[in-house]
Amino acid sequence: MSELENPNENIYSLTKDEEEILKPKKDFFIKGVLIFGGLFFLFSLYELNIDYANLLEGTGAFFAMLIDMFPPNISEWAYVLPAAIESLQVAILGTVIAVVISLVLAFLAAENLAPSLWVSRIVKGFATLMRVIPTIIWALIFIVAVGLGPLPGVLAIAVHSLGMLIKVFAQSVEEMDEGKIEALKASGAGWIQIIAQAVIPTVLTALMSWTILRLEIDIGESTILGLVGAGGIGWELMRAMRSYDFNSALFITMVIFIMIFSVEMLSNRLKLKV
Amino acid sequence: MLNKWKRVIALEGTKDIRRHKRLQTMLIILLVIGLTVWSAIGTDFSVYEVFSGVGLISNFLFLDLLPPDVTTSGSLLGAILETLYMGFVGMVVGALIALILSFLAAGTTTPHPIIQVVVRAFTSIIRNIPGLIWALILVASYGIGVTVGTLSLILGSVGFLTRVFADTLEEIDTGKIEALNATGSSYLQVLAQGVFPQFIPGFVAWSLYNLELNIRASTIIGMVGGGGIGFAIQKGIKLFQYKEVSMAIILVLVLILSTEFLTSKIRERII
Repeated sequence: MSELENPNENIYSLTKDEEEILKPKKDFFIKGVLIFGGLFFLFSLYELNIDYANLLEGTGAFFAMLIDMFPPNISEWAYVLPAAIESLQVAILGTVIAVVISLVLAFLAAENLAPSLWVSRIVKGFATLMRVIPTIIWALIFIVAVGLGPLPGVLAIAVHSLGMLIKVFAQSVEEMDEGKIEALKASGAGWIQIIAQAVIPTVLTALMSWTILRLEIDIGESTILGLVGAGGIGWELMRAMRSYDFNSALFITMVIFIMIFSVEMLSNRLKLKV
Repeated sequence: MLNKWKRVIALEGTKDIRRHKRLQTMLIILLVIGLTVWSAIGTDFSVYEVFSGVGLISNFLFLDLLPPDVTTSGSLLGAILETLYMGFVGMVVGALIALILSFLAAGTTTPHPIIQVVVRAFTSIIRNIPGLIWALILVASYGIGVTVGTLSLILGSVGFLTRVFADTLEEIDTGKIEALNATGSSYLQVLAQGVFPQFIPGFVAWSLYNLELNIRASTIIGMVGGGGIGFAIQKGIKLFQYKEVSMAIILVLVLILSTEFLTSKIRERII
C-alpha cells in the first residue's frame, strides 16, 4: 500500500512524463496544419482574384434564375427518360467491363500473388495512371478517337474504374491471411488453383462491396459525361442550359438527382446485406 | 430412433439452406448478366467496334497526344495553380459552412429534430447533384471564370462534409456530453468542451480527403467554364492542340499525386 503512505498526495495526479504521453505532440501538429491551412487559404483567395461585385450581382441573378426555373417543364420526358436510361446503361456496362478486367489484373498487381515484383509494379503504375486522369478527360480522349456517342462514355468509365478497382482489389488481396496461400502452395497447387480456392472465397465480400461502391460513383459520373458529348442525360442538360430553357433544365436536374439519390439509398441497403 | 430422425431432418435443413443459397447466387449472376446484356444493347456496344477502335486510339495517343509540348508548361502552370487555389478555397469555405451545418444535422448535437431533418435533406440535394452540373447552372448567372469553379466546389464540399462531419459527431463518446449537461453547462459550453476536442482529428482528416476530391473535381469543372486547367484542356482539344493537352494532363497527374501524398502523410500523423 505504498500509495497510501503519504495521504496528502493526490494519487490521481500525473507525473510530467505521463502527461506528455496522454497529450502527445499531435495537438501541436494539428494546430500547425490548421494555421498553415488558414494562411494558404488567404493566399489562395488573394491569388484567385475573385470579382466580388460580380459575385454579389451573380448571386442575385442565380436566385432569380432558381425562381425562374419553377415549375419544371416535364413535356420533354420522352427525350429525357431514354437519355437517363442510356446514362445508367453506360455506367453498368463500364463498371462490368472494369470489374472483369480488374479481377485478372488485380491478382497480378497484388504483391503476394504476382509472379514477380516487377509485374506488380508495372500493373500498379498503369492503374495509377488510369485512376488519376478523371473520367471526363478519358471521355474527351475517346471521343477524339472513336467519335461521339455512348461508346466513348463506356470506355472512359471502364478505364477510370479499372484503375481504382485494380488498386483496391489488390489491396484486399494483399491484406489476406498468408497461411491459406502457403498451405495450398505446399500441397502443390498451381497459381490458378490458389486464386480459385483460397483467394477468391476470402476476398469475395470485399470485392462485392467495392464493386457496389464503384457502380454508385460511375452512375454519378455517367450523368455528366454527356456534357462533353459522350451520350446520356448530361447532353440533354447541356442543350437545355445552352438554349436558356431553365424549366427543362430543372426537370433534367431533378431526374439526375433522383437517379443518384435512389442509387445511394439502394447501395446503402446492399452494403448492409453484404 | 428419435435422435436419428432429428439428425436427418437437420441434415435436410442444411441441404435446403445450401440449395437456397446456391439458387440465390445463380439468380444474382443471372441478374448481373441480364443487366450487362441490356446495357450493351442499349448503348450499341460492339466488341468489334472497340477492337477496330484500338488502332485509332493508339494512333491518337502516340502520334497526336505524345510527346507532350513542354514549352507550354509556363502558361499552363498558371492554370494548374488556379485549379489548386480553387480546390483549397472550396475546401476551407465548405468545411466552415459544413462545420455549422453538421452540428445542426447530427443527432447528438442538434438543437431540434426538425432542424436536423431539414439540414440533412438540404445537403442531400446539394450532394446528389454532381459538381459539374452545379458549375453548368452557375455559369448561367455568374459568367465564365474562377468564381463559378470556386462556388461549385464550395457546394460540393458542403454536401459531402456535412454528411461525414455529422456522422463523426454521432460516433463520439456521449458520456462527456452527459457529464457536462449534468453540471449545468449551456449548449455552447457543451459543444466547446465536450464535443469539439473529440471532433477535431476527424474534422481535419475528412477535410483533407475533401481537398483531394476537390482537386480532382476542379480539374474538370473548367470544362463548362469554371476556369483552371480544365478550361485549358477543353480549349486545347477544341483547337486540336493535343500536345498541349497532354502536357496539361501530366500537370494534373503531378498535382493530384502530390496532394494525395501530402494529405496521406498528414492523415497518418493525425490518426
